[in-house]
Amino acid sequence: MSWLIHELRLILRSRLSLCALLLLLALAAAAVGIGLHEVARQHQAIERVGPLQEQDAAAVAARYADTGDPGSHAYYTFYGTWDAPSDAAFLALGLRDVAPFVLRVRALGLQSQLYEGETFNPELALSGRFDFAFVLIYLAPLFVIALLHDLVSGERQSGRLRLLLSIADGGSLWRRRVALRYALLFACLAVPVVAGMLLSGASMAAMGVVLAVVASYLAFWCGLSLLVAARNWPTVANATALMGGWVLLTLVLPTLANVALTRAIPVHQGVDLMLAQRQAVHGAWEIPREDTMRRFYDSHPEWRHSAPLPDGFHWKWYLAFHQLGDESVADEVSAYRAGLQARQEWTARLGWLLPGVSAQALLHRVADTDLRAQLDYQDRIAGFHREIRQFYYPYLFEDRPIGARDFADRPVYEASPGPSGSVGLHALLALGLCWGIGLWGVLCAGRLGLR
Amino acid sequence: MNADTGNAVTASAVDGGVEAGKGAGNVLEASSVEAGYGERSILRQLDLRIGPGEIYALLGGNGAGKTTTLSLFLGFVEPTAGRVRVDGFDPVAQPVQARRRLAYIPENVALYEHLSARENVAYLLDLAGQYEGDEAIDRALAAAGLQGSAFDRRVGGFSKGMRQKVAIALALARSVPALLLDEPTSGLDPQATSEFNRLLDVLRDRGIAVLMVTHDLLSAADVADRIGFLDGGRLLEEVAADGEDRFNVRALHRRYAEQAA
Amino acid sequence: MSPVRRIAREEWRALSRDRVAMLGLLLLTVLTLVAALNAAEHRRTADAERGRYQSQANDEFANQPDRHPHRVAHFGHFVFRPLNPLAAFDPGIDAYTGHTLFLEAHRQNGANFGDVRQSSLLLRFGQLTPAFILQVLAPLLLVFVGHNCVTRERESGTLRVLLSQGLGSGQVVMGKLLALLGFAGLVLLPALLALLWLAASGQAAWAPVLVLACAYAAWLLLWSLLVTLASTVFRRGRDALLGLLATWTVLVILLPRGVSDLAGSVVAMPTRFENAIHVEREYQALGNAHRPDDPKFAEFRDRILEQYGVTSIEELPVNFKGLVGTEGERRSSELFNRYAAEVFDLQERQNHLVDQYGWLSPTLALRRLSMTVAGTDLASFRHFLEQGEQYRYDLVQRLNRLQSGEITYADDTDPDKENRISHAHWQAFPDFHYQPFPVDQALRRAAPAGAMLLAWLAALASLTWLLGGRLGRAVR
Repeated sequence: MSWLIHELRLILRSRLSLCALLLLLALAAAAVGIGLHEVARQHQAIERVGPLQEQDAAAVAARYADTGDPGSHAYYTFYGTWDAPSDAAFLALGLRDVAPFVLRVRALGLQSQLYEGETFNPELALSGRFDFAFVLIYLAPLFVIALLHDLVSGERQSGRLRLLLSIADGGSLWRRRVALRYALLFACLAVPVVAGMLLSGASMAAMGVVLAVVASYLAFWCGLSLLVAARNWPTVANATALMGGWVLLTLVLPTLANVALTRAIPVHQGVDLMLAQRQAVHGAWEIPREDTMRRFYDSHPEWRHSAPLPDGFHWKWYLAFHQLGDESVADEVSAYRAGLQARQEWTARLGWLLPGVSAQALLHRVADTDLRAQLDYQDRIAGFHREIRQFYYPYLFEDRPIGARDFADRPVYEASPGPSGSVGLHALLALGLCWGIGLWGVLCAGRLGLR
Repeated sequence: MNADTGNAVTASAVDGGVEAGKGAGNVLEASSVEAGYGERSILRQLDLRIGPGEIYALLGGNGAGKTTTLSLFLGFVEPTAGRVRVDGFDPVAQPVQARRRLAYIPENVALYEHLSARENVAYLLDLAGQYEGDEAIDRALAAAGLQGSAFDRRVGGFSKGMRQKVAIALALARSVPALLLDEPTSGLDPQATSEFNRLLDVLRDRGIAVLMVTHDLLSAADVADRIGFLDGGRLLEEVAADGEDRFNVRALHRRYAEQAA
Repeated sequence: MSPVRRIAREEWRALSRDRVAMLGLLLLTVLTLVAALNAAEHRRTADAERGRYQSQANDEFANQPDRHPHRVAHFGHFVFRPLNPLAAFDPGIDAYTGHTLFLEAHRQNGANFGDVRQSSLLLRFGQLTPAFILQVLAPLLLVFVGHNCVTRERESGTLRVLLSQGLGSGQVVMGKLLALLGFAGLVLLPALLALLWLAASGQAAWAPVLVLACAYAAWLLLWSLLVTLASTVFRRGRDALLGLLATWTVLVILLPRGVSDLAGSVVAMPTRFENAIHVEREYQALGNAHRPDDPKFAEFRDRILEQYGVTSIEELPVNFKGLVGTEGERRSSELFNRYAAEVFDLQERQNHLVDQYGWLSPTLALRRLSMTVAGTDLASFRHFLEQGEQYRYDLVQRLNRLQSGEITYADDTDPDKENRISHAHWQAFPDFHYQPFPVDQALRRAAPAGAMLLAWLAALASLTWLLGGRLGRAVR
């Protein structure tokens, strides 16, 4: 292994290489630190809102305790839900900065509550987060380019190439140099990530996927650098070609793809379903209340035995038409979600062409911070909302008063997300292509030489 | 790295002789070689044979085919006809074995500027798969005439002569049977040229076959055993050293000038 | 011909033979055209869609049947944020902010359905717009094309020849700069035409368009200076290229993100959840405006009774329930506005912090200027939300007045009566008309960023002038 010591000495004595490696290490460490800090902040926010929500519910209970009126309890009590960040969320904060990770809902129509936004500064969101995904996808390739763009041309321009090739076989020389640079870059990225994942208690599987993403993405860029080097251009031309490739792959093509995607899959049903739901809910005041109840009993026969409506206002009618409002837009809801999912799927498919997109998608999947994670959270809220309704309905439809002890038994949101997002095997396959480029580059390295 | 199954060079770096390869008679050999780039023919019917302990100077003007001749032995250029051998090995078909038996010193020895002389030799030796510790390197550097105080200095500030010494040390440390020199004395002052030529005498004593391409007639006459005149890719004439005066420099010079015209 | 122009012309000739330069220019031009067309089309469809939704919401509001006014106040209204015409050039935060605002009684909702939550992660790679191309890609092209403008002469030894002809070294550098500026002009041209078209076709006002044009011209001038300067300072072309690429990465890619992240962690934002609970708590303390007998409204009741010179609410000529509603809405709106202003102030503090780093990265200054002038920044969004809130307040108060004037207190407190009033009332309600952020105010807000850009320009110009004149010494 003496070659390792010699090659290491060569790299570490070069000020540019050493600075580049240390800088990458520092950037990756900073990104991991910032990510962990942000995740801790989100955990704190979730811990903060829990007791706050309890106080709020207790105040409602106190206000209506003597009435025993289940309707008032249902109407005025909010329920907290939260989407705790996964153990790997610090890697890629994703949509968590623009979508709520804590949301309160009550027993009324869900569709008018589910799309509530979060207060965030859009100008900051526009810039994006400085997380590990950013360092890996945008910055790491630049470091690969910095270390590899003059792999051969640098030796040629400094006049050492003939001497080197008179001593050693070029192919194995370039391969061992690339391998070492690859290993060092990988270490600079992997060490902070592994440290961060150990600190946050992420699973070994998640760590495996993340390291596989890092290794594959670097392999792609090293392969590309070798392929460019194989053209035997001068250093400046190599740098230009590689930077051009970087701009195309990480800046231009993804944005072009986004344009194509938003055009191909328009999603505006969000507003439609909100407007439709409002019409359905408020329209209930205009039609005979018995009609509303009949429609409700048709889809919920378990409450059919409930006593007929009295003359005045009754909460069961009120909640029934809210639920009917939700049900009337069920088609729009599924169309809306289908549109969002289609966008997500096409993005994943795009990953087969654009390694940056594929790495981005995988990291955010592991971190569980992508669009799918948002939809999953909405599903969990919807499930919890069902529980809330089912909690109140027996009191309302059987005209039972709700006491303090009953109220204490109300449903509590239990977060049940996995420790980190699960990654499908086919998503990992897209990484195979990165290795394909990497190996192709290594094969071409053998042909690198004097021509 | 360079796993060589053939005749491994095991002789100790400085003191020992060179173990002969398969073609014991001639270390560097080219027979009826034709070579060129595409349509352009560079070398025509080149015949060259250099034995152990022989210094051969190839003289010629610009474009005569000197550098191509070196490239031929290095395996960088493939002959279109004829036969090239380095210690019995074909540099194109058996590049690893052939390279093991060659050291090459380019016109301007470029080294890794941020490494010291010793580190450079160590690194390049390692590339050749022949690194066996720094002691052998120090001996080689001393034998190449580099002052001890320069061993640990970064080569960034070295003169051409000092860089050449580092390269010669590398050749010594590798104990190769053949050495190729590309314009070794261009840009050296007379004193440094003379010093370099005495170094070549040492190499000859160690039995190394040396091929130097140059247009420095005086230096060639000073050190070479044979001088070949190359023009338009043809070897026009060979003159061997003879007697105390070795060469008739005046006659050689006339010959050289005629050729250039 | 002056030597400067002569050198510039030679450099031009070299550029026109440079394959990288020509290919880059072609690609960038095509990209800019695609981006301009797409952004214009996107703006047009988005604006049309929002207009369509707005009239749908207007219709739905106006076409309500006879209802109790407070029912109408809870039916509420939707307003949609129209898209500023210059969003076709720089959409700014449009994709990151909601465009649908639901207005109802005693609640202040946020704007929902921003594109960012409806898009895959691709959006986070940035949006292909003329502004993105000029801000991010154009400087990079200038770097590739111009990094060797002086080093090439130095490396090939022609610089010695030029200077030995009696040419001043400042003249050489000026000539190179002039040539690069010409190239930068070509890079700017398509986006400039797109901008001018927006003004000429009457979609946007001339003042912001001209300011934007000047700002981006200054931006490219800044990079031309930086590139020429690097080429003057570095001895070898490859060193100049590496140095410039590193500078570009730091200024354009790294700092905007890093600084935003920093601002986000220095000035922390409460979650909407927490704010909602705090608002709710204070809101409860204000009293329940649905219940005229709420003790929190006793003082208000006494004042009204005194005002009308009666002793009980039943004797009032107006419906006291409506009055309580009006008073409650006044109190709660004050409360909401206070919280909303707090959030906005936090956001503005964050943005202010980011703006300060414009001294460090001119990208931040340019972005601020561009978004502000294009009317797609946070201030403009806040302007929309405040107008929406004003509209909501007027709407709800008008309904409360209807309640107090059109329905008697006796009827309103009778649980068996529905108390509907004629639907003609809703039809008379004015529609929401968004007033865009005033141009002069936007320009004033953009002024500090403009000053930062000018300061950068001045600093780089004097540095180039200073070092450009000393080229001769480096040759020796």
